[in-house]
Amino acid sequence: MNPSSLIPVADSLTAHWGWFQFLLMLTFPLHLLAMNAMLGSALIAFVAHLFPGQQYRDLSHELAKALPFLVAFTVNLGVAPLLFVNVLYGHLLYTSTVLMGLFWLSVIPILIIAYYLAYIYDFSFKRLGNAGMFIVLLVLALLLLVGFFFSNNMTMMIAPTSWERWFSVSNGSLLNLADPTLLARYLHMITGALAVGGLCVALYAQVVLKRQPLVAEAGVRIGMQCFSWLTLLQLVVGTWFLLTLTPEVLKGFMGGDTLATAYFGAGLLLALATLVTGFRRQVLATVWLTVPLVYLMSFMRDSVRSGYLAPYFDPATVPVSVQWSPLLLFLISLVVGLALVVWMLMQLPSLKKSARQD
Amino acid sequence: MNYPVWYVPTFGGGLLIALVAIVHVFVSHFAVGGGLYLVLAERKALREKNQAIMAFVRKHTKFFMLLTMVFGGLTGVAIWFIISLIHPAATSLLIHTFVFGWATEWVFFLVEIVALFVYFYTFGKMDDRTHQAIGWIYFGAAWMSLFLINGIIDFMLTPGSWLATSNFWDGFFNPTFWPSLFFRSFISFMLAGCYGFLTATFLEDEQTRHRMIRYSGIWALVSLILSLPSGWWYISALPEQAGKLVTGASPTIARAATVAAFSMAALAGLLITLILLNPKARTRGLIVVVMIAAMGYMGAFEWTREAARRPYVINQVMYSNGILAKEVERINLEGFLKNAKWVKHKEVTEANQLEAGRELFLHQCFACHTVGGFNNDIVSRTKNMSFGAMRKYLATIHEKRYFMPPFVGNETELKALAAYLTAGLHQKPLVEAASAADDRGQMLYEENCAACHAADQLQPKMVGWSQEKIRTALDKLAALNPAMPDYDAPPADKDAMAGYLFGLNNPEAAAPAKIQGGTLYDENCAVCHGIDQIAPNLKTWSRQKVRSSLDNLSAINPAMPDYTGTAAEKEALTDYMVQQAGGAQ
Repeated sequence: MNPSSLIPVADSLTAHWGWFQFLLMLTFPLHLLAMNAMLGSALIAFVAHLFPGQQYRDLSHELAKALPFLVAFTVNLGVAPLLFVNVLYGHLLYTSTVLMGLFWLSVIPILIIAYYLAYIYDFSFKRLGNAGMFIVLLVLALLLLVGFFFSNNMTMMIAPTSWERWFSVSNGSLLNLADPTLLARYLHMITGALAVGGLCVALYAQVVLKRQPLVAEAGVRIGMQCFSWLTLLQLVVGTWFLLTLTPEVLKGFMGGDTLATAYFGAGLLLALATLVTGFRRQVLATVWLTVPLVYLMSFMRDSVRSGYLAPYFDPATVPVSVQWSPLLLFLISLVVGLALVVWMLMQLPSLKKSARQD
Repeated sequence: MNYPVWYVPTFGGGLLIALVAIVHVFVSHFAVGGGLYLVLAERKALREKNQAIMAFVRKHTKFFMLLTMVFGGLTGVAIWFIISLIHPAATSLLIHTFVFGWATEWVFFLVEIVALFVYFYTFGKMDDRTHQAIGWIYFGAAWMSLFLINGIIDFMLTPGSWLATSNFWDGFFNPTFWPSLFFRSFISFMLAGCYGFLTATFLEDEQTRHRMIRYSGIWALVSLILSLPSGWWYISALPEQAGKLVTGASPTIARAATVAAFSMAALAGLLITLILLNPKARTRGLIVVVMIAAMGYMGAFEWTREAARRPYVINQVMYSNGILAKEVERINLEGFLKNAKWVKHKEVTEANQLEAGRELFLHQCFACHTVGGFNNDIVSRTKNMSFGAMRKYLATIHEKRYFMPPFVGNETELKALAAYLTAGLHQKPLVEAASAADDRGQMLYEENCAACHAADQLQPKMVGWSQEKIRTALDKLAALNPAMPDYDAPPADKDAMAGYLFGLNNPEAAAPAKIQGGTLYDENCAVCHGIDQIAPNLKTWSRQKVRSSLDNLSAINPAMPDYTGTAAEKEALTDYMVQQAGGAQ
């Protein structure tokens, strides 16, 4: 069966596809950063349990307090890019979603359990003692499992050749395990996420926990070590992922496509630079290098998607019938919403106090 | 047809959506009304300088945060997940039409999260004015979420002038937007009052507990009363067909309405009791009943709204099975399978008829029907029908029962679906319906028996047999001869055949009326009630009563469509029914 014949017809767009692409590329890295901070906090909260000393207990406790916030923001910041991906690639995504329906739906109960466990870990931290480390480890494992399902869906939606399996298994129990990129891609994502997560912990420790010097020091040390070593490991994992790509897509990064090659070159340079600042424990410098790196990595990820879909689909070909006023509604709401968020955060007693001290 | 189908025969998609949606609806409405409850209760505590109430509000906020942010937020995402699994085509249409509405809703979701975190974690650490302002921002953002989702949900029921213009705002501010917004707002305040009850019962201080229970009770009662006129307004704004379904033409809605009425009455009664009661004793048991009644009221409303849309998922636009209404005519001409992407058989042949029929079932019926499962089981619903009857039924299914979508496809495909539903699911014989009604028994006989014994061989063996005896024999053919396979057919077929066989020795017998009546019954009534089910009720009816009831079936049950046959057909149907019930009085 010709895989193209299975691809559903895409619905028409209400704005030029570039708008959705822009919003997708803007919001997806924000979700990644929150997700990375969430996974990093869970990992380092667990690791800190393994060290003796009060500062490590306190570090775990501080991260336990942050974890529920990070879950909430990861979910929220995931909604926007998922929406825009639905608009651009919904017909492909829904198809792969149906194929793996059971697993996809299980994401919700898994997240609910992980979320409540994170609250238990936070609210009962002292009472739990070291038993808390098993809870946070479970949270981490559950969240990594969710990531695995996402990797499956995101790779399956760009691989219509794997869809034919539905005709023999239609109960939603298909994963994309036979895809040679899947494991490498998942490990690449996880390695990157935990590395950047480590960096987030270091940043949090240095900026927010500075009034507890010992705790801050522990956080920065473990966080930066986590970041640097995992980034070093990423050179291997990332190369492996790159080599699993089809020759056409790989060629895009090696000069075949100017933009993709530029992303790749710039990304590689930034990654090497973060290794230098990382091993030197220069937190802020590493953060300034990493944020654009995360953006570049999502652009590269997008190039991979376009490359795989090239024989089947290009969002630029979808018919458009423009309606400006809803877009305007969104943009105005976004400005007002962000203003409200900033105002509310400025009312936080801790921020007010530090503003007065300055 | 555009998408693959997630085939979970036991649960079916509808039930899963209903489960997730109903859970989410309670929590999400609570998240809206609860925001207002929190700020007003906090203001009450501030005005009265009452520390106990303030401590209660703080504790309630924690419960509120854990319930709405975690469970409410994630079940909201779950609805998105599940509808894209069960109704991918409809989800895609809603996402594409309202993308910036959804995106705006996401902004308010973000504001809600930040506001609720700040509100909870700064209790007692922030000046009162600012803390109250944060609470108001939370409520404003939560209510705006309701405002936005409300527009999109009601679009699905009443797309209004969007049908002509495809304009975002026409779809958003659709005919039921405002009544629904008022209704949902009051319901959300009512739920907040009910949840407030629940947390208030945990208060240790008796006086505060008493006061907060009373406070919550007045909240819930006033909101409940205000929800009634807005609910009425909502129903009046429905278009004709949906209105008909709501006012009695749909059996599911009729059930939901009963639940709603009982829940509402119970709720009002309990609330008044709680407000007036001097709660020296703990009232938690009573409050659990309040919660259940509130959920019954809300759940019945949501169920009604969903059911009123039938047979569409987006009214007038897309049927529940994802087929666009505007494409039906074209597909009928060209064929469904040819146009469907996710089918193996692009054309029906004699060899693949059952397989193709199954694919048609999957893409046209499975969205609402399980296969031997919990909800709308197709197996039990088709067991009374023969292939011929099924064919006739499918051809006019939407006309006969408005809430069922029409069969979409050509004649051969319809036949294949009928074959799957009868031969595939029930191993029924694939016999064509007789062209003339009184040939039916003969045709069935020829299809099923004549290969082994011709009628003239059989005739002498049945001399002196009554029709009842022949009919009984058809039920256990193996008793006549162990080598003979059982005649596995619906009772009406057997009746028809018995009539034919009886006529062989009694040509003057009034068999044709019986035969024709059985056929008519099979084609028009058996899909909902087999003759065995209603025969006991008819025992006490006179022939005249049965006959006249056929003129006005909806008077017996509003859900039952009127029978549109000719007077002669009604007579034949009456004869058959009376005979089956044990003879006319």
